[in-house]
Amino acid sequence: MEIAVCVCLVPDTASVIGFQDNRLDMTRVSEVMNPYDEYALEEALRMREGAGGGVVRVFSVVPSEKKELLRKALAMGADRLVIVDAPHALDPWQTASALRDAFLDVYGDSMPEMVFCGRRSTDFGSGEVPGMLAALLGVPSVSAVVSLEAVPDGSFLLVREIEGGTEQLRVAVPALLSTEKGLNIPRKTSMKGVMEARKKPVDILPDRALPAPRAALSAIRPAVKRKPCHMVEGVDELVRLLNRTEGLF
Amino acid sequence: MGKVLVFLEQREGQLKKASLDILLRAYELARMTGDGPVAAVLPGPVDTASLPSLGVRLYHASDPSLAHYSQYSYAALIQEAFALEGAADLLFADTALARDLAPLLSIRMNASLLQGCSALPAPGEPSIRPLYSGAATGEFTPSAPLRIITLIPSGERPEPSTGGLLRVIPLPTPKPVGLSAVVREVVLQSGMPDVSEAGIIIAGGRGVGGPEGFRLLEELALLLKGAVGASRSAVDEGWRPHSEQIGQTGKSVAPALYIACGISGAVQHLAGISRARTVVAINRDPHAPIFGAADYGLVADLHTALPALTLAVRELQELK
Repeated sequence: MEIAVCVCLVPDTASVIGFQDNRLDMTRVSEVMNPYDEYALEEALRMREGAGGGVVRVFSVVPSEKKELLRKALAMGADRLVIVDAPHALDPWQTASALRDAFLDVYGDSMPEMVFCGRRSTDFGSGEVPGMLAALLGVPSVSAVVSLEAVPDGSFLLVREIEGGTEQLRVAVPALLSTEKGLNIPRKTSMKGVMEARKKPVDILPDRALPAPRAALSAIRPAVKRKPCHMVEGVDELVRLLNRTEGLF
Repeated sequence: MGKVLVFLEQREGQLKKASLDILLRAYELARMTGDGPVAAVLPGPVDTASLPSLGVRLYHASDPSLAHYSQYSYAALIQEAFALEGAADLLFADTALARDLAPLLSIRMNASLLQGCSALPAPGEPSIRPLYSGAATGEFTPSAPLRIITLIPSGERPEPSTGGLLRVIPLPTPKPVGLSAVVREVVLQSGMPDVSEAGIIIAGGRGVGGPEGFRLLEELALLLKGAVGASRSAVDEGWRPHSEQIGQTGKSVAPALYIACGISGAVQHLAGISRARTVVAINRDPHAPIFGAADYGLVADLHTALPALTLAVRELQELK
């Protein structure tokens, strides 16, 4: 059984996104695997364990010199890491296209049984890549999955969160699922896992001609700061201000 | 802006207000700029007589089999309406359904996709979207001839203008497609609105002290017809479900009023509330970073301040 997981790198949660002269300052930022992708990888590992075997391959479109930052995926238990070398930032359409090409390179005509992606990245966070990749691969996709259960007939029962409730779906494989927090608790890496990860294969696919971007980033600026906080003495003053100044209640 | 098609979303026969708001906004914009007509597409059984009387064409596929969301059938219907209308822009309210459907459509239609935009971009203008969970804003320039945009709710409710005539154009039900993901059941919680849709949110963090402490927040939320939200630490402690989590690994919210109770204000949390109109912070620690992100601050123990606040609001409402 082949299972694919797509991951990306994001600033770790302790990093402060700084600006210098209205340009993004990434010098004080350390990058880690996107938290939502950890749920994707964990689910893939559980699926392989449940099936009693198989190959979990992790794909990432990043500059190849950052490959060591993704060795954590191998330490968690993935079998192989496939880096799609991308020296420049790509838009979601280009990223999805690069992943589709990598899938064709690696799998040929026989697609993996399941593809897992994090629901969105915590940096740009558009959450567009998973659905685009599924459409390019021609497989159905379900976004923001919080529960996954195999059915004896080979299909899966899924639950995803919608506004004010949940939705239960049934999907046949092959399919692409994007994972939401709550699906599982990703395992910690063990010392043994870290040691083994050093010996696991990392394939680097050369960058290739990509389609033109469809939604390129043209400018970035810091979010506008709020006015200073008005400290109040007590509840009565607060209610009065909210009512008279803000027109609330 | 070229011709615009707005997706109207229904759940269990109920039209989603957020998607109707997008239609009203697009309609107003087109009236002001004199731009081409606005149309809407609606899959699923909804009583169209309840819709505001706008001068728009509504492509309606009313078959009961479309009551539940199906990615492939919905995509086929939208593409058909889009082609019939000769539209150039497809607009969605930024909901779970839109985020599931729009990427697929962008590939099928070779369109630029802009998910989670904060405003309707004017023709030739870039669209603006929060990045790094709200720490920055990015401008994106769509370059494909067709655009698909999902818009986050603005908190402001446009007044429905009337006087036009809604023209309903029935669409046939698409043939069932194999292989797709099929919704079997929808479970909606009754009572409080979802944090992503609520106009008022009372949110609690570690300072609430435990699941029982959240009763105080629920009471105020109920009175204000708002929702209860939670910080990551309150969710990780198991005090509240993840569906209520606000912040970087939770939801981004845009209520008119956000009251943060016992939330210290980690950057990851502040990221999720950057679009709230008025932020109130109640915290015992006068140095808590939440005050730096709040419009009004009260240094107090929430366990005494919240009941007093609930009482004061109730008295104010009874005066009206």
